[in-house]
Amino acid sequence: MAEETEDNITKIVVISSDSILPTDAAMKVYESEDSITIKETCFGTMVNGPREAVLKVVKTLRSMDRNHIFVKERGFKPGAEVRCRAGRGGGPRPGFHFLREEVNMLPMIGRALDKYEAGEPFEEHEAPKKLDISKLKKIIDSEL
Amino acid sequence: MAKVIIYPTNSLILSDMVERFGHEPLAMMEKIKKIINTVGVDSPPLNITPEEPKRGLKYAAVEVPAGVRGRMALIGPMIELAEAGIIVGDSSISFGCMGCARTNELTKFLIREKGIPILEIKYPHTEEEGQDFVYKIAEFLKSLPSGSDEK
Amino acid sequence: MSDKGDPVLIALVSCGSEYAGVQSELEKAASTLNAKLVYPEMDVATLDTIGMEFGLEVASPDLRLMMARAKAVVEGVAKVDGVFVTSCFRCAEAAIVRNELRRYIFEESGLPVISYSFTERTTAATLLTRLEALTTIARRKHLLARTKQTGITAGIDSGSTTTKAVVMKDNEIVGEGWVPTIKVLESAETALQQALDQSGLKTEDIQAIGTTGYGRFLIGEHFKADLVQEEITMNSKGAVYLADQQKGPATVIDIGGMDNKAISVQDGIPGMFTMGGICAGASGRFLEMTAKRLGVEITDLGDLAIKGMGENVEMNSYCIVFGIQSLVNSLAKGSSPEDVAAAACHSVVEQIFEQQLQEVEVKEPLILVGGSSLIAGVPKALGDLLKIDVIVPPHSQLIGAVGAALLASGYVSE
Repeated sequence: MAEETEDNITKIVVISSDSILPTDAAMKVYESEDSITIKETCFGTMVNGPREAVLKVVKTLRSMDRNHIFVKERGFKPGAEVRCRAGRGGGPRPGFHFLREEVNMLPMIGRALDKYEAGEPFEEHEAPKKLDISKLKKIIDSEL
Repeated sequence: MAKVIIYPTNSLILSDMVERFGHEPLAMMEKIKKIINTVGVDSPPLNITPEEPKRGLKYAAVEVPAGVRGRMALIGPMIELAEAGIIVGDSSISFGCMGCARTNELTKFLIREKGIPILEIKYPHTEEEGQDFVYKIAEFLKSLPSGSDEK
Repeated sequence: MSDKGDPVLIALVSCGSEYAGVQSELEKAASTLNAKLVYPEMDVATLDTIGMEFGLEVASPDLRLMMARAKAVVEGVAKVDGVFVTSCFRCAEAAIVRNELRRYIFEESGLPVISYSFTERTTAATLLTRLEALTTIARRKHLLARTKQTGITAGIDSGSTTTKAVVMKDNEIVGEGWVPTIKVLESAETALQQALDQSGLKTEDIQAIGTTGYGRFLIGEHFKADLVQEEITMNSKGAVYLADQQKGPATVIDIGGMDNKAISVQDGIPGMFTMGGICAGASGRFLEMTAKRLGVEITDLGDLAIKGMGENVEMNSYCIVFGIQSLVNSLAKGSSPEDVAAAACHSVVEQIFEQQLQEVEVKEPLILVGGSSLIAGVPKALGDLLKIDVIVPPHSQLIGAVGAALLASGYVSE
C-alpha cells in the first residue's frame, strides 16, 4: 500500500473557466518538472508528485484564471486500485457524487469571487418573510 | 494562518476558499491520505481497522454504531485542532465520509461546542445567494487572526 | 468452500462497513469462497429521488445509496448472483432500511439475500458461514435440487455441543450416532462408528461423505469428504427432507447448542435466513443449565415443561446468568419445577421470536429442528407463541447430518 509518502501529494484541480480549457492546464503541467504526474478527468486534472513540486504547479495553474480554478487535496492517488471503480466491481467512488454537485456550483462561485475582488459591494437582500396575517386574510376574502 | 475546519469535511469549494484566503483547511482528504498510507496496515479500501471505532470512543459512547465511531476517529482529531470553523448547511447529497447523518450531526455539534469563531451558512442556489455565500466566507476568513488578503 | 471457476458475484449493499473496520473482513471472507463483492452501478440521478420513490425518507445519504443499489440489482442493471445487505449494529435508521431492502430484493428478484449488522468486532470467520451459504445457494442450485438419497452415504454434523452422524442407504436412515463434542475428530469418529455399527455396514461401504457444522473443515479433511458445507444449506435440506416438505415454502428454526438459525425455505432452498450467535440465553445451553438446576436430565426437562405453566414464573432476563438466577429465585419462592421448566422453554423461544423471527418471513409449515426440538416444552412454547402448528420431524436432532448425507449422494451418482 504505502506508496504515497508524506511528501507525495495529490491535488484535484477543477477548471471552471471560460478562457482556460483543461487541456491548457494539462499542457502547463507537462511543461513543468518530470516528477509530476497528471491524470485528466471529466472534472479537471489530478496532479500527483512531491509536495513542493505539486504546490508550485498548482500555484501556476491557479494563476491562469485564479477565480475560476479550484483546488482541493485528494486522499487517494490517481487510479488508486482500492478506489478505482474497475477494481471495486463497478459503482462510482463515494466522493464522486459530492464533487459533481459542487462542480455545478463553481461558475456561480467564480463570478462571485470576481465581484469580490473588484470590490463590488453586496447589498444584502432581505429573506422573504412569512406572509402577514392581514394580507393572508385579504387573499382569503378575495377568493371567496 | 488559522486552522479552519470545514463542513462538509470533504468540500472542494470550502477547502479551496480557506486556502485561497490564506488559511489552512482541516479537511477529510488529508486524513484519508494519512490513514491509507499507514505503514504495515493493509485493510483496504480506507485502511480503517477495528482500532478506529475504538479510538472513536473518545467522541461517542459504545452504544453508538461502529461506523459512526470509525468516522469520528478521523474527524474528531481535526475538530480538536480547529481554530475556526465554517459549517455549510443544506448540503446536497454526499457519501462516504459524509454519508452518515448521525456522524454529521455529532460533527457539527462538536465544532459548535468548541467555542471557536464559526460561520454558519447555506449552500447557494441562486446567483445572489452565491454572492452572499462567497462574500460572507471571504469576510469571515479575513477576520481570523493573521488572515492575509488574497494571495 | 472455495470453488474453482468463475467467482460468484455478490452485491454488497452496505452502509458504514468501510468506516467500521469490517470491510477488509468482508473482502477476506468473500475471497476465501471465490466470491467477489461488487458495488452495483446505478444512475447517479436516482439518488435525488430514491427516498421518495422507495417511500422511505432517511437522513443518511449512504442509506439512500443502499436503496439505489438495491434497485439496480432488482432491475437487473447489476448482474449478481446474491446480495449481502449490511449496516452498523445499533443504528435504528439503518436497521429499518436494511430490513425493508432485504425483503424488497428477495421478493422482487428472487436472488438469495442475507442481512447482517456488524460491529467493529465482526470478523471474517463470523461472516464466512453467512457468505458461504449465500454463495452455495448461488453456485450449487443443481445439487440443492436433490430430493432423494441414493447409494450408501454418511453425513457428519460436527456441532459446538454435540456431534451427529448418520449412515443412509437407498433413501433410508440405517444408522445414527450422537455424542457430545469433546475433541472434534475423535467425537466425529465415535459418532460415525456408532452409526456404522447400527447399520451393520463398514467404513469401506460408504460411497460418499458430507460434513457440516463448526468442525466441518477439520473433519471434512480427515474423512476426505466429498462435500463440506455450512449448516444453513445442510440443515434446510435435512429439515424439509425429514419433514417431507420438499416442495413449496417452509420455515426452518434450528435451536442449536450455541446458536440458532431461522431459515425461510422455498422448494428446499434457503432464501432469507438469520443466524443468532452470541447469546447463550437463546440456545440449548440455557435449557441444559435449567435442567441441571432442577436436578433432572435434559431429556426429562421437556415432559416436565409440558405439565407446567410458564406464566407462573417471573423472569426478568433472557440472560443465561441472570435468567437462570430468576428461575432459581422462583424455586425458592415456591414455584413448581414444572412451571420453572415451562418458563425456561418459553424464555428461549421468546428470545428467538424477538430477535430472529422478525427478520424472516414466517411461512407455514414451521419446522423446528436441532437438539432442543426434542425437549417437548420447546415446540409447545413456540406453537403457543406463534399460534401455529409446529412440526418436529423424526430424527430432528440429526438434520445437519441427514442433509449432508443426502446432498453427498449427489457425488455417488456422479
